[in-house]
Amino acid sequence: MNGRSLRLALLGESQVDEAALAILVEGILGKPFNQVQPGLRARGWPSVIQILPAIARHLHFNTDADALVMLVDADDTEPHGSHHERPGYFHPRCRLCQLRAVFRRATRHLPLKHGRERMLRAVGLAVPSAEAWYLCGNDDTVGEAAWVEGRVTGRAPYTRRELKARVYGTERPNLAQAVAGATLAAKRHARDPRRLEHDFPGFAALATDLRSWELKPAETDSSRSAA
Amino acid sequence: MIASVAFRNFKALRSARIELAPFNLVIGPNGSGKTSLIQAVLRLRTLARLPISDTFAVTNLEAAQIAFRFNPPHNGFEATLTCRDEESCDLLQLTPLAASGELIDWAVLRTRLLTARSYLLDSRAIIRPVQTGGSRELASDGSNLTACLAGLREISPDAYAGLCAELLQLFPEYADLVLYADRGTFSLRLAGGGAPVMVPADEVSQGTLYVMALLALAHDPAPPAIICLEELDRGIHPRLLRGVRDVLYRLTHPADYGHTRSPVQVIATTHSPQLLDLFRDHPEEIVIADKHGRAATFARLSDRTDLTELLAEGGTLGDLWYSGILGGVPEAT
Repeated sequence: MNGRSLRLALLGESQVDEAALAILVEGILGKPFNQVQPGLRARGWPSVIQILPAIARHLHFNTDADALVMLVDADDTEPHGSHHERPGYFHPRCRLCQLRAVFRRATRHLPLKHGRERMLRAVGLAVPSAEAWYLCGNDDTVGEAAWVEGRVTGRAPYTRRELKARVYGTERPNLAQAVAGATLAAKRHARDPRRLEHDFPGFAALATDLRSWELKPAETDSSRSAA
Repeated sequence: MIASVAFRNFKALRSARIELAPFNLVIGPNGSGKTSLIQAVLRLRTLARLPISDTFAVTNLEAAQIAFRFNPPHNGFEATLTCRDEESCDLLQLTPLAASGELIDWAVLRTRLLTARSYLLDSRAIIRPVQTGGSRELASDGSNLTACLAGLREISPDAYAGLCAELLQLFPEYADLVLYADRGTFSLRLAGGGAPVMVPADEVSQGTLYVMALLALAHDPAPPAIICLEELDRGIHPRLLRGVRDVLYRLTHPADYGHTRSPVQVIATTHSPQLLDLFRDHPEEIVIADKHGRAATFARLSDRTDLTELLAEGGTLGDLWYSGILGGVPEAT
């Protein structure tokens, strides 16, 4: 990207996720970025997957965004395992795999625009919700491995509501409480994301996507493999 | 506060019962009993002003009856309203539920019930200038909102400052809330951000005015014990509904937000799938009103045992409701 700041659009399920995502992305990239089209939002998972093609098209033609960064909650769906990263692999119940596939289909045939052939993308999957990320490092009982084990045994180690209560001190955080709690945790992880990457493969996938941009700028053909 | 309400022959609620939570969002088609639930609460409040009837026998089994039970410490008795017809409910009786049932609790409970309020806000009423002084209690249509805000500013400057801060956070296009006094009346203005412009009340959007009224309730140091809100989402942009929910949660769960006052019970109605989406993690707070022919019933969304599986299949809570699979939709449309 010729040394200039990246122009990124962020898409999450809430204002809270978006605030934390911006901090995490900057931490992983190691430098500030310019946010394109602030305030992109989807109403929960079904809305994200439905609206993504339109958002990708809009960003491609109407903005100069270099990339779209997405964060969704896994809820009770399949976490993104390392085997999902194998070339050609697609897990139909993994939201990260689904988002990558939808983005690929939506942008595959778009013509050159704004000096870039296509936008890059990065996707994070919070298992089961972003609050688990915020607890990582402070609560050893929380992690994707514990969640996956709970799925196998049929005994979830915690619920989304419990995670909220642990992060915010209430199951019903107001927006200010939620943004404050999420950004505080995101800043902690941004300083040193290793634990979050280790305990949450859904975050590691996001970090890997982001770091790959340094090696595969959008203007080259090799970027296709990241898209 | 109110733990449950059981209806018999009351309007469309021929035989219906609902357990109430601290916060209750009631969804359902028109004519499914949402407003009747609120009316029942208001009738209880009205009759609570009067002496308890000691006339026990009600011989007309077709008479409408509404039976209320309450949460501890007022769970020792049931309060029953009996109606002569669908419109005239003028008999209130208390029945002990257990040997330990202490009717003397009624005096304490009654004091709280008398504060119950219902709101169907009207922007045209809100924008009219109001006389200074008068009641500090927000009128059911919000018509004295400006006077309430002025009163709050006078008796609790901190609460007023908190209200203004929250208002400007929700509507960052404004820089200040101004209560304008002129010859014995108050009117409100909003100062535009970034430009020295005063926006008079009649140019402020309906949704902004309604949110101001909700904030006035939420920042009241002594709010009503029960607040009923009809058409909660009316005029409010979907993205602001999270803020509206936050305001109401502060009323119903004050300890979670560092407040020491008593919780307020909220019963709100909506037709907004977007508002419903915000309660995915709290299905126990959703009441689905349903209508079959002329008879209406209530059910808790949390009683739906397959809800988790349905949500896992895709669709937001609002989508599921709109589809009809949760009930609470008009028949044959």
